[in-house]
Amino acid sequence: MSLGYPPPLAEIVEFFDGLGEDEKRENLIAYADAAEGCGPKPGEGFDLTDERKDEECTDTVGVFLRVDPATRAAHFRIRLGPHVQTLTKAMAAILCKGLDGATPEQILEVAQDFVPRIVGGNLVRVRSQTVYYILTRLKGACQVWLQRERAAR
Amino acid sequence: MNAKFADYAHPEALVDGAWLQEHLTDPSLRIVESNEDVLLYDTGHIPGAVHIDWRGDLQDNTVRDYIAPEKFAEVCSKNGITPQTTVVFYGDKANWWATYALWAFRLFGHDKVKILDGGRDKWKAENRPMTREKPTPARTQYPVPAARKDAEIRAFFEDALAFSKAHKPLIDVRSPKEYTGETTHMPEYPQEGVLRGGHVPGARSVPWKTAANDDGTFKSAAELKKIYTENLGLEPASEIIAYCRIGERSSHTWFVLTYLLGYTKVRNYDGSWTEWGNRVRAPVAKGDQPG
Repeated sequence: MSLGYPPPLAEIVEFFDGLGEDEKRENLIAYADAAEGCGPKPGEGFDLTDERKDEECTDTVGVFLRVDPATRAAHFRIRLGPHVQTLTKAMAAILCKGLDGATPEQILEVAQDFVPRIVGGNLVRVRSQTVYYILTRLKGACQVWLQRERAAR
Repeated sequence: MNAKFADYAHPEALVDGAWLQEHLTDPSLRIVESNEDVLLYDTGHIPGAVHIDWRGDLQDNTVRDYIAPEKFAEVCSKNGITPQTTVVFYGDKANWWATYALWAFRLFGHDKVKILDGGRDKWKAENRPMTREKPTPARTQYPVPAARKDAEIRAFFEDALAFSKAHKPLIDVRSPKEYTGETTHMPEYPQEGVLRGGHVPGARSVPWKTAANDDGTFKSAAELKKIYTENLGLEPASEIIAYCRIGERSSHTWFVLTYLLGYTKVRNYDGSWTEWGNRVRAPVAKGDQPG
């Protein structure tokens, strides 16, 4: 079941659910390869930019958030430093796609229990916990955006 | 041979990128990549290299221990390794996990081992060939080792405690803040479940990175002698225990002391701080002094 996930994320989770460990790895690599294309494009504007290097991640992670004022649909761009782990790169690409169009409130409600369903039990372990980090950063951006929205009223 | 290697106690334990590139198809070698990043091998590796995973292949995944000799024989057999095969290890993180895998191979008596100096990052930085094609080595029949040689190169909690009480050489290779107890995780990593910070009383702080250059290669023999022989006063026959958090950074130091400096009685305490820092009533020293 993927109840509670935004539809694009639910679709990705269900796709990975049906894969064996080897196929999961192949698809995670494909998403990791795609992460490079998830960064901000020239000319794009954002409501919130949060680019920093945290203690719990091996390199810089930049989160760029734009929320459509009419529909409240959120759109993310994510820029990763070269030393970010492959799983984290894959999760960045998955979340860029899977959360696209959801509202900030919906994103804050997304439970992290989808991560092992995508990644598989063999890859979630000590030294791969930063796979959860990207979701935390995206939720953090949504929280800040909502706080600013409330303050502006 | 790389001129730097000649001054090490066991220069044969290292290869450089130029040498390895010339020997990619040498049938007496098996190149093994071992990483912290679990998917890194899949994104590209040295042509012909197989992947041996520190967790999935070398550790018992139920009990916190290493695999049994039967499983080790299977790991080698499926990767086309025989007792006569020279295994060349390399990996990410300046070879943390490569030296860990090498150390684990030594636990089973496989002594024909080498490290690629500088590991994966240096190989890539030199623009040497990489591929995503996974090799399919012909299966071998690696004989099951008679036993795992834990007593020779592996230390346990009781051993480290005895060293602490007897003021024998203990080397804490973690970052300075982990040693003092200011943090319970290493820089750039999340907390990994340790309840207390600090170090084993009596342990001297020599972070693993002290032995490595910025490009991940090992420092010269003269530099290493200054660090471990002159500054710490360690002798080649000294009994030494090295530890970190889970045994991988201390594998790097174990390799340096054993192969590059030729110390003969070095053991790696793989339980390390994730065991010691959680153990009820284990003595803990705080601050920058050994205690």
